[in-house]
Amino acid sequence: MGPDGAPGPAVPWRKVLWERQPFPDNYVDQRFLEELRRNEGIRQYRYWTVVKEAGFVGEQLSCVAIFITLWLYMEQGQLSPERLLWSSLICALLGYGLHQALTPQVQSGCEPRTRLADLQSATIFLSFTFGFSPVLKTLTESVSTDTVYAMSAMMLLAHLVSFPYAQPSPPGSLSLNAALFASVCLASRLPGALHTFAMLSCALLVFALWPCLLQRLREKAPSHFTGVCVGVCFAGVGGLGSQWPGGAVLLALALGSVTLLCPLLLVRLQRHKDNIQGPWDEAEIQEDLSHFLR
Amino acid sequence: MVLKIFFPQCCNRADSGLLVGRWLSGHDSAVVLAVIHYPFIPGQVKQYIQQIQARSGVELSVLGSWSLPKEGQEGMESFLRDLSTIFPQKRWLQINRELGKTGFNCQVLSRDQNGRVIPREIKKKADKIDGEAGGDGEKKTKKEEEEKEKEEEKEKEEEKEKQDEDEEEKVIFVHYEQRKVMLSQLHPIENGLSDPTTDPSSELRQMFRSVALSQPLYFLDRYDDGPLKSTHWQSEGREASIIVELLKHSTLPLCVLIRWLLSIWTWICDIRVFSLSPLRFLSSKLSTCVQLSYRTEHMRTLSSQKPAAGHTEFMRKANMVVSVLLDVALGMLLMWWLYKDNHISMLANTVVPAADHVAKELEELLQWLMGAPAGLKMNRALDQVLGRFFLYHIHLWISYIHLMSPFIEGILWYGGLSACFGLTFALSLLSDMVALLTFHIYCFYVYGARLYCLKIYGLSSLWRLFRGKKWNVLRQRVDSCSYDLDQLFIGTLLFTVLLFLLPTTALYYLVFTLLRLVVVLFQGVLHLSVDFINSFPLFAVALRITRSYRLAEGVKFKVLCEEPGTALHLLMEINPLKSSAVVQLYRTPTYSCYPKDSWAALAKKLFVGELIYPWRHKTTKTD
Repeated sequence: MGPDGAPGPAVPWRKVLWERQPFPDNYVDQRFLEELRRNEGIRQYRYWTVVKEAGFVGEQLSCVAIFITLWLYMEQGQLSPERLLWSSLICALLGYGLHQALTPQVQSGCEPRTRLADLQSATIFLSFTFGFSPVLKTLTESVSTDTVYAMSAMMLLAHLVSFPYAQPSPPGSLSLNAALFASVCLASRLPGALHTFAMLSCALLVFALWPCLLQRLREKAPSHFTGVCVGVCFAGVGGLGSQWPGGAVLLALALGSVTLLCPLLLVRLQRHKDNIQGPWDEAEIQEDLSHFLR
Repeated sequence: MVLKIFFPQCCNRADSGLLVGRWLSGHDSAVVLAVIHYPFIPGQVKQYIQQIQARSGVELSVLGSWSLPKEGQEGMESFLRDLSTIFPQKRWLQINRELGKTGFNCQVLSRDQNGRVIPREIKKKADKIDGEAGGDGEKKTKKEEEEKEKEEEKEKEEEKEKQDEDEEEKVIFVHYEQRKVMLSQLHPIENGLSDPTTDPSSELRQMFRSVALSQPLYFLDRYDDGPLKSTHWQSEGREASIIVELLKHSTLPLCVLIRWLLSIWTWICDIRVFSLSPLRFLSSKLSTCVQLSYRTEHMRTLSSQKPAAGHTEFMRKANMVVSVLLDVALGMLLMWWLYKDNHISMLANTVVPAADHVAKELEELLQWLMGAPAGLKMNRALDQVLGRFFLYHIHLWISYIHLMSPFIEGILWYGGLSACFGLTFALSLLSDMVALLTFHIYCFYVYGARLYCLKIYGLSSLWRLFRGKKWNVLRQRVDSCSYDLDQLFIGTLLFTVLLFLLPTTALYYLVFTLLRLVVVLFQGVLHLSVDFINSFPLFAVALRITRSYRLAEGVKFKVLCEEPGTALHLLMEINPLKSSAVVQLYRTPTYSCYPKDSWAALAKKLFVGELIYPWRHKTTKTD
């Protein structure tokens, strides 16, 4: 059995190194593979569960699409900033009410945020955005539009990649910052300062506050959560379809693949999973890669 | 055993007599310093040697006898041997030179415990080349090695010879030029004059010191009417030395005068007004003031009453004197040129148009920057604001220059007078004037740098916020941190604003930094030349060029005669110190008036927008 050949003496082999035995050091006998274990602690996924979870990814994708749709409307002047502001305000108030309703009254450990603190945050957001919107308006004036679009696309992609899907509240720094950066870039292309202000408020709503509410929803009412996700997905596809049908088709394909195809693949491929463990130490190759970087 | 005898070349042809010198402690070698001729009275010789010993501090003794037989002086063998009983020594050297021959014979007579003389005949014949001209026409095996290597070499040779004639004691004659050895200073210089008897220093060092210290021995010259006559090195220029002595005496009142002037100057400097903080800051930044304080310190050192202790301090003082003299001479030359053809007014008439021209060029540069410079897309609003700000500044500057223009000629005229203190003063003044005339460029640079620095620091910290990290001051590292929603929002907003405004600021910063660097470069060249005049060891270098033996780094030996069975005759030549080493060793310590940044550090400073200055920040001396 051993690599160097077994001498086959009558002495039984023992798995110790401190005793002198008539075997080579790397000798193992036939019981070696008896302790082999496969796929320890595996969780068997079920297809619809995975689809439900993946729905959240699709929902975030649709959020980005909705934001882009709003921006497209704004840019073409089909949506006035006042209307957007009013509707944002109404949405924010509704969402806030829902959030408060879903918040458990007695929280263990940390203090719940008071209304005053929320009001303060809202004031900061609004005043800063309003104050900065003229500056932001002229910020990218001399930068070419293509550059701005490319930068926004990169940043939105970074937002989607780095979004903490498992624990979206509080939102991850990088994802939120990337989304805000992208929305500032896009907003600076709009025709007026008020447009910029409206767009940024909307971005705050979509990227910062909406995930918080959704998380609360997922905790308290999982059945409604699925419904909301599906609704947002349809809204995203429909909205984008009204402005850019090709984009809507692409989005629908992406949503389909993310929510339906990828879970299917995952469940299918799980059958082929073959993870072995045994009474050995796995070799970990810790090569010093720093010399490649030089 | 090998006996080394250092023999002065001037004694090669001396009349017969006694060899005066010393045995080097710890080494089997002797230095012959002089030959005292016959006839003499042994008591007087002993007394004379004691006198000299008391004056020079060198342990002198009679080493042996020297005989150069002339006609009618034959058969002195026994007489010479008897001399050894008169001057009792552990070893008695009996060197004689045969008539018409060039070799030395050397006999070493040792004394045993009973005081009986045991003649140990050593038959050493050597072809000795007469006089100064070493081994010019002879076969030369030139060996240029450092002293120690040479010793080893000799040791080896001797071992080889030892196998042939085992019992005999070997003698090596090392011929040296007494004057050069006396005047030369062996490097590296040993600090602290330790007792030569207890000091276990190297053989060569002891020998050099013995020769240099026994200067009183050389005062007895051959024209003296004393009871003793001797041969050794003798100076030939008494007249010159009289002039030197007169000069020395005349410097005394000069020193007193300088000290008096200095005391007045220090009294003025110590007035309270000058120690107030703005004035002191200003004077520490004006290179004229720095140069003034530096020269004051020089003069204080030079006019001190104490004579220079040791070679190093002497050289330092001499270097200072020469540098001051050269400086003043160059300054006088400059003054002569300035005031000869009314060059001053010509200069004054060119200064104001030049300043105007610079301002105009700057204006054009700003106009260019306010457009689309080099096709770069800048933020238009910020660009306009910055451009107008700088234009207004230039406008202010031009009016200031025009206000000053009537006085410029007067300022230049009186400033030119400072050249009589030396060229360095004139150069320092020029540097200061350039600094004052380009003040607007400095201001632009500072504004640009501050703005840029603010942006860079803001961006770097906001970039950390962007990634959800923060700088941990206590641990000096970047930690992850969970920010509030409003912090993130405001941070990102500011980050975006700063990022898009950065190119505009960076361009302004770049242009003004380049302008500033040109000015700094010019001032740096001026400072470097001032520093060069201040610190270059002109005296030491001149000494190295004209009297290269004065500063010795070691010795080299030339073999005069090397035959089996004869004594080795070596000619010792002094290795002069390398010129670079001279400059390095005797450089007068100065304030280094340029910052000692490496290029990488400078580039980093420029990148992060730290201010760069042509002057130093630390006021430490590089001493």
